[in-house]
Amino acid sequence: MLKAALTRLDKRPTEAANSEAPTLGRTLRVAHGLAAPGLRSTLALQAARAVLRLAFIGLAAMFVGELISGLANWPLLGAALASLVLGSVIGLVADRAVANTELKVANGLLGAVRGALAAASPGDIQTMPLGTLIAGLQRHPQAVAGLAVGHRLASIMLGLGPLLAAAAITAISWEAALALIVLTPVMIVFFVLIGGAIRSGAEAQEKAFGRLAAQFADRIRTLPTILGNHALMRERRKLAARLDTYASGTMSVLKIAFLNAGIIDFFSSLSIAILAVFLGLGHLKLISVPGFADLQLWQSLFILMIAPEYFVPFRRYAEQYHAKAEGFAAATALDTLVLAGRPQSPAFEAAKATRDLADAISPLPRTGLVAITGPSGSGKSTLLRHLAGIGSAPSIQPDVDARPDVAWCSTDIYVPEGTLGAAIALQNGPYCRTRLLLAAGNVGLLDDMLLPGGLDALIKAGGENLSGGQRLRIGLARALISDRAIFADEPTAKLDPANAAMVRHALVEAARTRLVLVATHDRSLALLAGRTIDLGVGDRQARERAG
Amino acid sequence: MNDRASPIVPGTKTGPLEEPSRHRAPWRLALVLAFAALAGGILLTGVSVWFLGAVALAGLTPAALTFNFHVPAAFIRLFALTRTAAKYGERVVGHRAALTDQVLRRSTLFAAMAAAPSVRRAGWQFGNQDRLADYLDDVEDVDYARLRVGLPSATLGIAILLLIAATLWMTPLAMVPILLLIAVNMVGVRFLASRANADLAAMRQSRQQASRLLGAAIQAVVPLQGERRWGRMLDEPFDGYANAQTRALVLRHWQALLDTLANCLAPCAMLSILVSAWLSGLRGEEMLPPALLAFAWLAVAESVLGASKIVVAFAREKTAWSALARWNTPDSVTRKHVAERISSLTLDRLPRHAPDGRLIGLPISATLKAGRPTVLHGASGCGKTSLLKQVAGWLDASDECVLGDGIELSVDVRRAMSCVCAHDATVLADTVRENLFAPHASDDELWRALDAVELEGRIRAAGGLDGWITQDVLSLGEAQRLNLARAWLSDSPVMLLDEPTEHLAAEQGKRILDALLQRLRQRIVILSSHDELTPKGATAVRLQ
Repeated sequence: MLKAALTRLDKRPTEAANSEAPTLGRTLRVAHGLAAPGLRSTLALQAARAVLRLAFIGLAAMFVGELISGLANWPLLGAALASLVLGSVIGLVADRAVANTELKVANGLLGAVRGALAAASPGDIQTMPLGTLIAGLQRHPQAVAGLAVGHRLASIMLGLGPLLAAAAITAISWEAALALIVLTPVMIVFFVLIGGAIRSGAEAQEKAFGRLAAQFADRIRTLPTILGNHALMRERRKLAARLDTYASGTMSVLKIAFLNAGIIDFFSSLSIAILAVFLGLGHLKLISVPGFADLQLWQSLFILMIAPEYFVPFRRYAEQYHAKAEGFAAATALDTLVLAGRPQSPAFEAAKATRDLADAISPLPRTGLVAITGPSGSGKSTLLRHLAGIGSAPSIQPDVDARPDVAWCSTDIYVPEGTLGAAIALQNGPYCRTRLLLAAGNVGLLDDMLLPGGLDALIKAGGENLSGGQRLRIGLARALISDRAIFADEPTAKLDPANAAMVRHALVEAARTRLVLVATHDRSLALLAGRTIDLGVGDRQARERAG
Repeated sequence: MNDRASPIVPGTKTGPLEEPSRHRAPWRLALVLAFAALAGGILLTGVSVWFLGAVALAGLTPAALTFNFHVPAAFIRLFALTRTAAKYGERVVGHRAALTDQVLRRSTLFAAMAAAPSVRRAGWQFGNQDRLADYLDDVEDVDYARLRVGLPSATLGIAILLLIAATLWMTPLAMVPILLLIAVNMVGVRFLASRANADLAAMRQSRQQASRLLGAAIQAVVPLQGERRWGRMLDEPFDGYANAQTRALVLRHWQALLDTLANCLAPCAMLSILVSAWLSGLRGEEMLPPALLAFAWLAVAESVLGASKIVVAFAREKTAWSALARWNTPDSVTRKHVAERISSLTLDRLPRHAPDGRLIGLPISATLKAGRPTVLHGASGCGKTSLLKQVAGWLDASDECVLGDGIELSVDVRRAMSCVCAHDATVLADTVRENLFAPHASDDELWRALDAVELEGRIRAAGGLDGWITQDVLSLGEAQRLNLARAWLSDSPVMLLDEPTEHLAAEQGKRILDALLQRLRQRIVILSSHDELTPKGATAVRLQ
């Protein structure tokens, strides 16, 4: 009941939709599954730490009580120190275990994301928001792990910790323990009231200023546009005003939210104050409440010192507030970004038609130039992808390994940071410089004014200093020095006439010894092909003609 | 009327990036409250124990009947309330101070970044969501540094110094183990601080490296899947992420060690004080003041436990400051009046530079006349965008190479004169009205502009001029048309349109561009087009 009340209190309206949904997202299910094995032992360690902490406090209270009463009980001091040291060591082990379990969960989640990415079709991957995905991969797994491990342990300890403290006090005076337990529902009533106030406050804030939440980030992102339109002064003033408005709105919600922690502080302070006075009156024999009178000094010290421990788990749990909100948000984000099952794209039917076509025209010859032609939008690229087996699960195409080894050639090939020579040699093992020079020269990369430096020309991260045509020619050079079949998507589209002629020549040369498959709308290239697959509109059947 | 009827160079004065100093008072109050809360906690525990000891000893004698328990009991209640109220006050005042600083710092930072040259070069780095997220982490670390580091460490430091002084005065012998433990803790703090610096830097580096690799791989997903290397290409980036997480784990292990050391400090101090008091011969009531002190130490325990968090937050703050310091670009104040209209713009042997400074092709010479738009043609990578940015004063170009009506135009003047309508222009999370950047235009003018770019219906459906739009709600084509509406409303004498019909259907693009050029017929207009579009009446220039 206590936990349920606190859980309800914790729901922020913005996250309410996620946390109130009874079905866990895929991310959270995976995270809970990964956390389960480590959670039990970690929980045992945390419980042991709590017990030893109570033992230390109890033993220290007994030692101090007797010391003030005039008796130095050295074995008791030894026992207290021993429980302190043991408790600290177990605490260390417990903290490390929590960290290890969280790492396991975070790494497991990364693995799941990686698996999903590896299995996804290019279409799905290209629709993912790249920047958001990458920013998320750096942050979300840890946040979800914090929710599945740290927060979960805190909520279990919320049930266990107060019980342990109450049990310890019961050993001296069950009446005092009862007083603490009776206080708890009062505290929870306050929690529920404040929780409601926080929710409505946050809802109002979200409604009034929710749009202003990320204005700073948005203006930093859009800075070049602002400068281009001479709006800097105005945007700066507006930003300052909006940040200010948002901050005061946030502050009014925080003022209520801090009452939460305030209540825990209040009850824990009050319990000390009340117990101290009651126990004091008992010692003076001014009152004779059972359980508070006729106690030894060590007994009343014991009660006084253990009582705050009753409230510690509440505070620990409240501290996890952010971890919880962040964890839920991160889990939702990961779900929608990667792990959610995607509906079949609307292009699926069209893709299937192309696959039938692909089946009809295979097997492809072992050598020669084959051109896929047709007006734009007729599915040239799609057919090329299907012939390469892209996006088809192994179950659909059992003879995956029957496909030839492919060297892909298009404007979006992967180019590593480094030199031109290294980019050409990629995936082809070390090559002697002469072969690299020859390949680069064949596609006109050595005398490219826009990429000076020959084989040592520098290529920036992500190949951002390369044009599409340069990338394509790097891909072609890479394909030429390998002995793999070449699949090229519009190999001459972004090139000037001289370079285009050079590329056509290189492709024809390569086709003497291997299969070269091109999707192209370049007539002169199609005319050189030994076989043409024409995807003319209105006639989706492959029309083959001898060249 | 447009706000650029009398165009001036916006002069933004941005001092070096430093802590705002105007808001000291709230922080002082927060520190006082924090200390009051800690003192309340210390006294609550200490006095309660002293009180119990006193009444227990008195209870054994006839003094019990005359014992005045009202005063100590009242004090205990006072301390309990002080602790609760001061703690709440500390949280509220501290957060308010942090938020006030945040507003000031973020708007200063915004201005400083606007003055940085890299904003105007190619490819704005924070247009990238993942770099933006890193940057925001840094800003946040700095925003909350005082709350997470300054305030708690100051409070804790003062409390410990006071307790040490009291201990030295009351039971000097107990200082031996206490100082020993404090020394051990300090060593732990220093060690953790150096580890945190190294680990945080390494974490950041391997994350960024992994992100670069993953980004490059995702952009090449089709070729990689075609070559069946996609799965393997994910190895390195994901190993990088896992590596960063392992680093974080190692740091947490060291944090746990410091926590353990800190955890022992207060209880050991308590026991040493009592034992040394006993050994120095104090008995009975004489033991009560040392007992008060001893339990005061115990009350600090909770705050000491935050030490490891403070150390790590401090390391993060330092890293964040050094990352943000790169944006410390003070801007010179320049207020110049520039011509509202020019009739010709001359490029005189202008050497063409790429954003990274290297030369492209041959220098260009041309005279552009108002009323006769110029279209730049050429293959991708031939420097069309760069030339537009050189004219705009966004990329390097010597002043003597660009002349307006025969007069040299300095960089500042060119910036003030030109409206840069970039091909990757963004949509601000704001109202449609604000997104059009024409604060002085009437509603009618705004609607006419939206109508001209064929967005009127879409905007009416989205809530009119005061409807809120974001990047996500507009398609690429709609964003591009919004961008053209901005150009429509602009009053700058030099209009630079980079790929104005990108993302638009051919027919629609031609229609809108013709209308826009008709509207801009009095101005110098340069546009670029990779698909060799040549609007009516325009001069084409082919870049090699």
